Amino acid sequence: MNRRDLFLRVRALIARRHVERELDEELSFHVERETQKHIAAGLSPADARARALARFGPVPLAADQCRDARGVSVVDDVIRDVLYAFRTFRRAPLAAFTIVATVALGLGLVATVFTVYNFVLFRVDAVRNPAELYAVQMEQRTAPGEEPDVVFTRRAYDALRRETNVFSDTFAMSDYAGRVGGRLVRGSLVTGNFFQALGVHTTLGRPLLAEDDEGAGRPVMVLSHTGWRKLFDRDPAVIGRRVMMEGAPYEIVGVMPDGFRGLGVTSSDFWAPLARAGRLGADVAVRADDNWLVVIGRLKPEMSREAATAALAVWASGQTTFARIPGSQILVTLIPRQGTLPLDNTGALLLFSPAFFAFGLILMIGCANVGNLLLARGVSRQREIGIRLSLGASRRRIVRQLLTESLLLALAAAACGVAVSQLFLQGALYAAVTTIPPDFAEFASMLNLAVPGWDWRVLAFLVAGAIVSTMCFGLAPALRVTRLDLVQTMRGELSRDVHPHRARRALIAVQVGASALLLICAAIFLRGAIAAATTDPGVRTSDTVRVSLEIETQRDALLQALRLDPLVAVVAASSRTGHGVIETPASPAQTSVAPTRTSVEQLAVSSEYFDVLGLPLVSGRGFTQAERTAEAGVVVVSETIARQLWPNGGGVGQVVRFEATPSTPAAAPPPSPRMMTVVGIVRDPGSNSGMSFRGVYLPTGPESPGTWLMLRVRGNPEEARRALLERLTGLDPAFGILTLRSATRMQAYVLRIAFWVAAVLGGLALALTVSGLFSVLSYLIEQQAKEIGVRMALGATTKHVAELVLSQSLRPVGIGLAAGGALAAAAATVLMATPAASEIGGSVDVLDPVAYAASALVIAAASLIAVSIPTLRAAHLDPIATLRND
Amino acid sequence: MARQTIPDLLPGTLDLLILRTLQTQTLHGWAISERIQQISQDVLQINQGSLYPALHRLEHQSWIEAEWAVSELGRRAKYYRLTPAGRRQLALEAGEWERMTTAIGRVMKLA
Repeated sequence: MNRRDLFLRVRALIARRHVERELDEELSFHVERETQKHIAAGLSPADARARALARFGPVPLAADQCRDARGVSVVDDVIRDVLYAFRTFRRAPLAAFTIVATVALGLGLVATVFTVYNFVLFRVDAVRNPAELYAVQMEQRTAPGEEPDVVFTRRAYDALRRETNVFSDTFAMSDYAGRVGGRLVRGSLVTGNFFQALGVHTTLGRPLLAEDDEGAGRPVMVLSHTGWRKLFDRDPAVIGRRVMMEGAPYEIVGVMPDGFRGLGVTSSDFWAPLARAGRLGADVAVRADDNWLVVIGRLKPEMSREAATAALAVWASGQTTFARIPGSQILVTLIPRQGTLPLDNTGALLLFSPAFFAFGLILMIGCANVGNLLLARGVSRQREIGIRLSLGASRRRIVRQLLTESLLLALAAAACGVAVSQLFLQGALYAAVTTIPPDFAEFASMLNLAVPGWDWRVLAFLVAGAIVSTMCFGLAPALRVTRLDLVQTMRGELSRDVHPHRARRALIAVQVGASALLLICAAIFLRGAIAAATTDPGVRTSDTVRVSLEIETQRDALLQALRLDPLVAVVAASSRTGHGVIETPASPAQTSVAPTRTSVEQLAVSSEYFDVLGLPLVSGRGFTQAERTAEAGVVVVSETIARQLWPNGGGVGQVVRFEATPSTPAAAPPPSPRMMTVVGIVRDPGSNSGMSFRGVYLPTGPESPGTWLMLRVRGNPEEARRALLERLTGLDPAFGILTLRSATRMQAYVLRIAFWVAAVLGGLALALTVSGLFSVLSYLIEQQAKEIGVRMALGATTKHVAELVLSQSLRPVGIGLAAGGALAAAAATVLMATPAASEIGGSVDVLDPVAYAASALVIAAASLIAVSIPTLRAAHLDPIATLRND
Repeated sequence: MARQTIPDLLPGTLDLLILRTLQTQTLHGWAISERIQQISQDVLQINQGSLYPALHRLEHQSWIEAEWAVSELGRRAKYYRLTPAGRRQLALEAGEWERMTTAIGRVMKLA
């Protein structure tokens, strides 16, 4: 296409009337000139004109061919199709509305998932080239499967920045949670180059600079938009003001724009220099040397990920800046950080695919309904389509026109889909926040949860979705209704059987199957939630409260206060869980038992722990007051583990070799393996207790750093929790306190959320399916009225007719139910074969027969109701009226 | 000798004839068809209906350009003129035509 061509085409489009007039003039001039020639040769004007026209051939045809030469006929056709479609919509607005509403619902639900996916996976913040960002993760492999993470210290980060050459810039960050003016806030402690490395700018004031992060660090912070709103109500004069955090004033130097969240899924409240970490006690260890850091680098453009990984592995193996396990091999992994979750694209897709599938089912059911509707409408449009076909329109042309109609409706639906997805997300967030257990409410508010907005990616996704759904619901009916016998149609005999019943039945079966799948999921989650809420958790939750300290230096003061508090009856302690290897040596006394080596979880607990949690001893004894460290050489073993180690019973009094695997910086230096005597065996806590621990208990005391405190309180645990929270915030502004009851409720809460999502989807699926079933059956009966009338006239009773209609419609429902159930069971079986099984299996029974039966019952009942109305109508047809009518 | 309408000839011939006719003068559509008929001594008669689509196509390809001017009848007519690009195209197609007819002529004589 050259410039002249383009000019002519554009002119033909814009100045259409002018171009048409010119064409007309040119052609008529030719005819007139030819006529003149014949007149000059002696013919009468009329004869001359007739001859000229005969010579020229049909003028409109030539004009049409000239238009084709212009190459704008495609555009012309599209415009004409669109205008025609709008006229059709005006004639049948209800059908158009139904289609738009159904497709908008389906597209909106899929867009909901995509909005979250988009929010989590693509950095919509104004970060420069986010695809270059990688987090450095190091593990040290001691044995296959034993790969504890290396703790990144500030020194290791500085060394990496100084000594390696794979990143154009590297920064480090560490999460922090604390209180400002009594409110729980969440911040990131970041190196001074954080904002420069990400390429983001403040809206007010300045970002953090390298100087802020030198030495002990300047007490300054940059607020996020959320933090600005939360702490200063968007005061524009915030720069230079100070907030008190852990006894030190911090000056606000800058505010970030609304869209910037940092690198997390939700926004931080502020960013402060990492060098302040020592003062802020960001983790168990307060020394700057031991901080747990996330190190993120911007890969140099010329560096490949593999080359960088290799270079970093070489660097890491020579490092002494972090605690090394002797003889271990350092593994370096670069994790993409272009999104807010450290996932690569396949991992993310895998994570989201169940949601896309479940929400997509609604779209699919909706498309099936719309497809059926279009088929039914195709029959009433047969005469119109027949006339157009016999006037010479090609079938392709009419199919294109019908598809244009469908696509316009789908695009309208896509526009509504944006609103549907935002509404759904807002509703879901509102429901989740208002029903969260009270202990978690404050924590949840700190997360700054917000409904992710939509952007051009969501729009593009919706437009693509509209095109795909048009193909799904529009193509088959368009092909179907244009396959007409012209002669019959022109005679006015509309063929009744435009669509074979088999295809309709298949559609119904698919719809019912999809609804069954969703409702079974809902029922399984509901049963799980009920089970989690009602079954005995196996630990004493009625009066137990868990306290986690954030500032270790305040431990003694806090313990003192707790022991003196009238609300607290007993104080026990337990440390965070780690792993270890337990080995029963082949002792001469038990030659029949081979030495066993088992990898187990370890938990350090104080002597009061079993009593506070109400865990009964199966045999032996618990720890004594004197046994407060691993030096005591005694352990207590969970019932499950004891049964594994000593299948023949016994165990108390046995000596085992125990080797702990270090996991937290507090555990360095790595403890050496030691021989321990098993003094007791204790009952396992229930899987729904939120602390389903199976392993080895080691002794510790509440004074040991890093332990959680388990309290038995007097009176209502929730009231005690509030009272303690108020009294102790002065000592440790960031400490966490949680009633064990709501910890167990949390699991029920998560399951209840899953239930509601599945129930809403299942309900929508069922509603769409039932309405589809109803309309299809009503339509079929209308079509079969003649047949039914004949049967009745020949002596069929209403019972016969009802049976005929029911058997037609209930068979696909039955097939759909069976298929949906089988699919759910198959998915469940596959799921239980994956590593996730232990997590899922503890909280729900994926093959719960009650759940399957209940959802089948609901669907069967709903279908029966939907079917019964048209059936009754069929059974009460007046055969004489029906036959006369035809 | 039977009259030949041009589409019965080799494909693309109509374009070549139009370009050649416009080589020396500016003409409107009817004059082009008359001229071809005259010069070919009535052997070649253009299907007049297909003349105009061909003219428009050539115009889109920038080989000819059009201009409205007052005709011998005293009313406006659309006159076509060869462009430099059209002149090059004509040289190309004419050479091609020459080669083809020579080849066919040889075969007819010698085969």
